[in-house]
Amino acid sequence: MKKQWFLVLTVLSILFLAACSGEGSESSGDNDSSSGDKASGDETTSITAWAWDVNFNIAALNIAKEHYEGDLELDIIENAQEDIVQKLNTGLSSGTMKGMPNIVLIEDQRAQSFLQAYPDAFFPIDDYFNTDDFAAYKLESTSFDGKQYGLPFDTGVTGLFFRTDYLEEAGYTTDDLTNITWEKYIEIGKDVKEKTGKDFISLDPNDLGLLRVMMQTAGAWYVENDGTTVNLVDNEPLKKALQNYKAIMEADMVKANSDWSQFLAAFNSGDVATVPVGNWIAASVEAEESQSGKWAVAPTPRLDIEGAEQASNQGGSSWYVLNVDGKEKAAEFLGETFGSSTPFYEDLVTEVGAIGTYKPASSSEVYATPNEFFGGQAIVKDFSEWMADVPPVNMGLNTYAIEDIIAAEVQNYLKGKALEDVLADAQAQAESQLK
Amino acid sequence: MKQLKRIATYVFLSIAALVSIFPFLWMLVSMTNKSVDVTKGRLLPGTHLLENLKVLFGQVDIMNAMINSTIIAVITTFLTLLIASLAGYGFEIYRSPGKDRVFSILLISMMIPFAAIMIPLYRLFGQISGTAPFLGIDTLAAALLPTVVTAFFIFFFRQNTKMFAKELVEAGRMDGLSEIGIFFRIYVPTMKTTFAAAAIIAFMNSWNNYLWPLVVLQSPDKLTIPLLISNLGSGYTPDYGVIMTAIVFATLPTAAVFFFMQKHFVAGMMGSVKG
Repeated sequence: MKKQWFLVLTVLSILFLAACSGEGSESSGDNDSSSGDKASGDETTSITAWAWDVNFNIAALNIAKEHYEGDLELDIIENAQEDIVQKLNTGLSSGTMKGMPNIVLIEDQRAQSFLQAYPDAFFPIDDYFNTDDFAAYKLESTSFDGKQYGLPFDTGVTGLFFRTDYLEEAGYTTDDLTNITWEKYIEIGKDVKEKTGKDFISLDPNDLGLLRVMMQTAGAWYVENDGTTVNLVDNEPLKKALQNYKAIMEADMVKANSDWSQFLAAFNSGDVATVPVGNWIAASVEAEESQSGKWAVAPTPRLDIEGAEQASNQGGSSWYVLNVDGKEKAAEFLGETFGSSTPFYEDLVTEVGAIGTYKPASSSEVYATPNEFFGGQAIVKDFSEWMADVPPVNMGLNTYAIEDIIAAEVQNYLKGKALEDVLADAQAQAESQLK
Repeated sequence: MKQLKRIATYVFLSIAALVSIFPFLWMLVSMTNKSVDVTKGRLLPGTHLLENLKVLFGQVDIMNAMINSTIIAVITTFLTLLIASLAGYGFEIYRSPGKDRVFSILLISMMIPFAAIMIPLYRLFGQISGTAPFLGIDTLAAALLPTVVTAFFIFFFRQNTKMFAKELVEAGRMDGLSEIGIFFRIYVPTMKTTFAAAAIIAFMNSWNNYLWPLVVLQSPDKLTIPLLISNLGSGYTPDYGVIMTAIVFATLPTAAVFFFMQKHFVAGMMGSVKG
């Protein structure tokens, strides 16, 4: 008898708690925003921004602050990228905007999931800058439901970084690597490995970034252009990319790495001849001063498909304004610096080495400055020209989820499973998982 | 034959010791190297120690983070010991009808992962911020309060209290000590080893605590050590030399606390197993 009472009591208290929390989420949502207004209402010129990387994004914010002519107190808070994701998710899903910043930096591949999950938490900034000034591929991932939420920041436009000395030793010039297909890339790689003994590329078998780079040269992604329909089985670019990926893995020209530091070490220590990734790797390449003059950058190889471009993208992020007090000021600040100022982008590239996606800046003289480390090549100018060619894709919400499925299937593919079966199985899994 | 066996034992032990010490050694060596050398896996000490220290104390302000972490860890440890020992003592010494049920509910709460209660907690602290800003989001108090009392420590103290001779409580009562007096004058001194063991665990947990401080602390001057290290590693070109130096500083206090109380720690843990 006693026991039953105890059970009833427990169940009742759980129900009571559940009821309380359900009710609370609606009514106190309003309370929170109003108390937030009060807290910061009297100091509208003070805004907070969250970003990662002191030497890159935060440095960019500081330069923007110098270029901003209005009255503004900008409080920049450094957090690692995963930490920002964690903090935003906790803060936004708790329903209280307390402690949330005015401006936050979000990686393009994650942006859609935030915009769709918390549409009211972000402030549309269409009116604060001209979207036509920015690279087309960048707008696709920063807007939602017809409204522009993100102010496009750095480009992840890719290039083929390569060691000129190794290539020369094997009898290749820069021209031989310019405007080639991935098939040709593999062919040259095998030859270079044979003649110099150096591996051609360093890959982490768990990271399929290269697959995405290849796919995007043909304007394709894991999903169709609506961002939700999984598109693996009939995805010709993905098929080609996987075939190339397999050919690379089987060609004995890969130096495997298992994390970021090993990846950096692979080219810093001179073990690999090429690094086909986003332009942001330039700073890490330049870190090994003894290799100055031995590097150059060629356009990204394209997939052997009609209409494929010699340009792709890997990474990059954009600024978002949260729907809290001070949002107009924050949007105005972003609009006048990142959104419209060529002098700002000139300083950005000379002081930080960051290349934005603001198109008018690419005709600037500063962009054409030769870089001695890369044998006098004006890499910034090259990158910003390739940037305009990057095919836009809608990445949708589930890039990482789909890629986990593909990663498992890729292992089967490498072991000999037929490509059609690999894609069909991955498609079925992805469809059932993402329903 | 006997000697051969001995040699084999020592060889095996040396290898095992080397394997377990190697990461620590590598951390110390990397502290003196440039970032590029660390990624290349250089095992010899370098000459970059001063530069790494300069960055760490000049640009990064590790001192501030050390102070924050110390404040949080010391207060958490003190409160944990006080509250959990009182609770554990109460559960074991006093008789009360529903005691064991309450205790099992408490144990069940150990199974709820922190991530599950994090969002409600954040909400709670968000609402407190309005009325009591000194306890709200972005205060050290908010970072330490939810971690102060855990079922684990209450359980730990209750188990250890089983070894405590209850006759001492009776004796104290006969001699006219109040109940609180018995706890502080008889129980606490006899259970020193248990307190030491709990102190080490509580201090380490708090010092290394990551998720909750990350979510609740916002301004840079409130950063704790784990958050600072996470920030250091977040760049596109992280400076591994500086990171390694920071990790050395992060490891020192817990290592010091452990060595200082090692003897008690071992005795305390043995007690909890035996009990």
